[in-house]
Amino acid sequence: MAVAKEKLLARKRDALAARLDGLTLPEGGAWITEARKSALTRLEAMGLPTGRDEYWRFTKPDLLNAATPEPAVVFDHGGEIPVFGQVDRLKIVFVDGVFDPEQSDDLTMEGVEIDRLEDAAKTDIHWAKGIYGTIELAGQTPVERPFAALNTAFATDGVLIRVTGKVSKPISLMYQHADECSDAILHNVVKLEPGAEMTLLENGPAAARFNKCLEVEVADGARFHHIRAQGRDHERQAFTGIFVRQGAESLFKSFTLTANGRLTRNETFIEMKGNDASAHIAGAALGHGDFHHDDTVFITHDAENCESRQVFKKVLQKGAVGTFQGKILVKRGAQKTDGYQKSQSLLLDDDAQFLAKPELEIYADDVACSHGSTSGAIDEDMLFYLRARGVDKGTAMDLLVIAFVAEAIEEIEDESFREEITERLESWLLRRRG
Amino acid sequence: MLKIENLHVKLEAEDKQILKGLSLEVPAGEVHAIMGPNGSGKSTLSYVLSGKDGYEVTDGTATLEGNDLLELEAEERAAAGLFLAFQYPVEIPGVGNMTFLRTAVNAQRKARGEEEMSAAEFLKVIRAKAKDLKIDADMLKRPVNVGFSGGEKKRNEILQMAMLEPKMCILDETDSGLDVDAMKLVSDGVNALRDENRGFLVITHYQRLLDHIVPDVVHIMANGKIIKSGGADLALEVEKNGYADLLETA
Amino acid sequence: MADDTMVAKEGVEQETVDAVKSLGDKYKYGWETDIEMEYAPKGLTEDIVRLISQKNDEPEWMTEWRLSAYRRWLQMEEPDWAMVDYPEINFQDQYYYARPKSMETKPKSLDEVDPKLLATYEKLGIPLKEQMILAGVEGADEVPADGNNSDRKVAVDAVFDSVSVGTTFKKELEQAGVIFCSISEAIREHPELVKKYLGSVVPPTDNFYATLNSAVFSDGSFVYIPPGVRCPMELSTYFRINAENTGQFERTLIIADKEAYVSYLEGCTAPQRDTAQLHAAVVEIVILDDAEVKYSTVQNWYPGDEEGRGGIYNFVTKRADCRGDRSKVMWTQVETGSAVTWKYPSCVLRGDESQGEFYSIAITNNMQQADTGTKMTHLGKNTRSRIVSKGISAGKSNNTYRGLVSMHPKATNSRNYTQCDSLLIGDQCGAHTVPYIEVKNPSSRVEHEATTSKVDDDQMFYCRQRGMDEEEAVALIVNGFAKEVLQALPMEFAMEAQQLVAISLEGSVG
Repeated sequence: MAVAKEKLLARKRDALAARLDGLTLPEGGAWITEARKSALTRLEAMGLPTGRDEYWRFTKPDLLNAATPEPAVVFDHGGEIPVFGQVDRLKIVFVDGVFDPEQSDDLTMEGVEIDRLEDAAKTDIHWAKGIYGTIELAGQTPVERPFAALNTAFATDGVLIRVTGKVSKPISLMYQHADECSDAILHNVVKLEPGAEMTLLENGPAAARFNKCLEVEVADGARFHHIRAQGRDHERQAFTGIFVRQGAESLFKSFTLTANGRLTRNETFIEMKGNDASAHIAGAALGHGDFHHDDTVFITHDAENCESRQVFKKVLQKGAVGTFQGKILVKRGAQKTDGYQKSQSLLLDDDAQFLAKPELEIYADDVACSHGSTSGAIDEDMLFYLRARGVDKGTAMDLLVIAFVAEAIEEIEDESFREEITERLESWLLRRRG
Repeated sequence: MLKIENLHVKLEAEDKQILKGLSLEVPAGEVHAIMGPNGSGKSTLSYVLSGKDGYEVTDGTATLEGNDLLELEAEERAAAGLFLAFQYPVEIPGVGNMTFLRTAVNAQRKARGEEEMSAAEFLKVIRAKAKDLKIDADMLKRPVNVGFSGGEKKRNEILQMAMLEPKMCILDETDSGLDVDAMKLVSDGVNALRDENRGFLVITHYQRLLDHIVPDVVHIMANGKIIKSGGADLALEVEKNGYADLLETA
Repeated sequence: MADDTMVAKEGVEQETVDAVKSLGDKYKYGWETDIEMEYAPKGLTEDIVRLISQKNDEPEWMTEWRLSAYRRWLQMEEPDWAMVDYPEINFQDQYYYARPKSMETKPKSLDEVDPKLLATYEKLGIPLKEQMILAGVEGADEVPADGNNSDRKVAVDAVFDSVSVGTTFKKELEQAGVIFCSISEAIREHPELVKKYLGSVVPPTDNFYATLNSAVFSDGSFVYIPPGVRCPMELSTYFRINAENTGQFERTLIIADKEAYVSYLEGCTAPQRDTAQLHAAVVEIVILDDAEVKYSTVQNWYPGDEEGRGGIYNFVTKRADCRGDRSKVMWTQVETGSAVTWKYPSCVLRGDESQGEFYSIAITNNMQQADTGTKMTHLGKNTRSRIVSKGISAGKSNNTYRGLVSMHPKATNSRNYTQCDSLLIGDQCGAHTVPYIEVKNPSSRVEHEATTSKVDDDQMFYCRQRGMDEEEAVALIVNGFAKEVLQALPMEFAMEAQQLVAISLEGSVG
């Protein structure tokens, strides 16, 4: 190996050793111990990222690498009702990464089976074997994801959801933050059996530092809807990983609304293994001040006639940095692929930055793949037009911001959730203007 | 000239039988029209004869001057003298109309063992023929069919026909999307090419085109075969009574 | 005509033999000289670097410049981030200097010139007249140019293996104040210009291959256009690798002084060989206030055979520095050759209102691999850049567009537009797009679009119904696909490039 590479790897492993100092693999039953050991082995092989890693060029991993998290003041939401607070749902609450039975609903509902990871980990056999750590492992192939491997190895809490039919109401995961120094690792698994359908809601900052993985298996003909809101908390540091495996004619839809947050790295990996599947991933991020938001999305088309669509919008100001990187990989034989990727940013002042690397890697000929990326300021003509009609500047700006991110919100299938997200965005913009 | 016997064709992708024993003969010097309701297989016939992928001939034969068409590649059929005026002419961005036509003319000449046409000669011929069809110089320079109106596309098809001087011309719904003036212009172009050595097969849904291009024989096609043949007046009959009566008697 | 004929290098054989002897015992093989070629010994050492410098009669500062690059190179590692895969190169198993012996004396007629070289020129569309001028044929300049635009002259510098074999139209250019000569001559004759600009765009420490080039470049072209001068004709360099196991490392330096203009063409070919050959060139362009440079390349190095045997490894660093306000550069490239291409002609838009454009066609067939694109670094205010890249992959090849658009905080009100289209022919090839976008000020606008598709079935059928065979139809459609780039080429190259597209795709269908 080249000398420079060896040196780099040594640094990465040193960083990992410092991070893992004092941590031991949690105890558990056979199935999870196997998954944790395998994750630790690959984590040790790759070490933690540095700014020299290709997919960490735009985002400094230091806050995530640190042995202890930077404290984060618990954000005062005032009288604001939590996102999804008025939705009829099955509520599961975690406080600083620990399941809270007091605030959570009863975990039984028709068409679905819900286990706490802590409980499932005590058994020797569980249906989550074959998903837990497995889809994450597949996601390591296009690009190394040490924080996901770390999560698989060390997570002790989370939920395992198995959906066998159509679920009557959404399952809502609420992550509350109480301790200024909390460092939470959560690992959730969702398995949709053939033809099943569910909606998963997530919201809240969870902890000062949060490492969360979600592995989803969407079997043939199943449909999965995911909507999450990552809150307004200014100081949280978050890594999230979504790992998906899709069967034939399945649907996966995920939307994320992010506001603020000191560091947010949202990784998504989707592997389309069955023909005629469809995946839609969208995100809207509003950054203001000390904000770094990173979407890293890799989609692998490994079957025929699948469609994938990505729409990411970022609105940045006062030093905020937004990044988008990702790849549509079309494997040999994945004919009739329709892949689309869009990443756009609106820079509202001189200090904002947008960094992007949208890639295509294509090995099949009968495909239509495209991506577009733009960055620019607010359209002065539009702003003037609104103001000339009597709209004050602040309101006019907000209107244009909402118009800009609307395309991402449109990716949410359910109209009531689209409305809730849009209203939330409006109220956040209004609060920011004070 | 063109002889089709008992032609059976199905769509490869859908495993659906479209032509079910179609027979037809167009002698040199004659214009035959095929009329029929939507979905009777008219366009399929034009694509199968010209060699488009995606169709499987399950039975029957099609020959041009005794040569088995079905054995040939699309370009070999063209070189043998078969020309299809497309219902929906294809747009090819970036390729100039002139470049396209010159490449086609010379490819066919080469295939027939003839000498290529020089640039100067080509230019002279195409300008003259374009003028007859009211095709201006700008249309010749623009990319093939890109940004052309419906009428311009069809005139461009006839210009290609005039340049390539085929033996057997198939016009697939050439009248679709044309107003009266454009139809007259296109028909005049076609009529100018009528001669004793050339055959025409005019596929159309409506009789009105046949007022301009008067056929020797009219065939009525339904459900994948010819159900009735007759003179030019058969077209008028269809125009008056519709296809329903004919379909019932068949 | 006399002065406008080729200025051939004078033979220095005895001197070089002596030089080698004086360098010590390790050169026990001395010169390997066969009928056509004269080589320096294989491998790379400080002594070889000194020898190359000595062969070119270089002053001490130049030798030191090379040596410091060489020492730096020893510390560097080959980059591995490109999507290309090739066996490890043994840099000690290459010849770093070779020159055709037949070029030592001036050829008297075309017969004395390597017929392959002439065939190459012909294939590249160099008019016969210029072939004669290049070859120094008696009276060549009095022969009227073929074609009807006799006022359209192209001055040619030909680099054969490591050495510039001749430059045409020198006198006419001199009258306009234009300096167009080999870089070795420029180092001797115009040291003040070379010292000022060489390495100022691509520093000797830039990257592994550029640093290697800085140490061992043996020749290349030098252009200086004085203030306010519009170069009276197009300038052109033809590069040719001929000798086996020989790396070619040419260095081109172009300076457009204030309000100057020049259009520069570059063509490259190499013969078929079973073993891969290395080519690591550097092109530096300096553009001052209100000046404009157009640089067009038709790269047709030997691509290797269908099994991937042989071919050129083309690792090239090209960069233009738009140093002056309102300066302009336009890169146009047609990349059809080479087994491996690693090339990113870039623009540093330093001056306010400066403009950079990059137009590229990259065609890969069989086992070829290309990783090519551009970097647009916007530093000045109101700068503009435009990228149009058309990649065509066929056979088992892989074709990658890699590009960077960077808007620095001070590059206010700047614009970039990028369009990358890929076309796949057959299901065994790959087409990839790797764009980097960095925007650090809000008043600048960046737009990037990319598409990947295959040759349209309906277009193919339409062409075939009109009588074209599959290859002809594909060539026509691909030329249409690449039209925007072909149009950016000068006339001389555009026709040839179109034909090259067809030739490169031979055997890709059916």
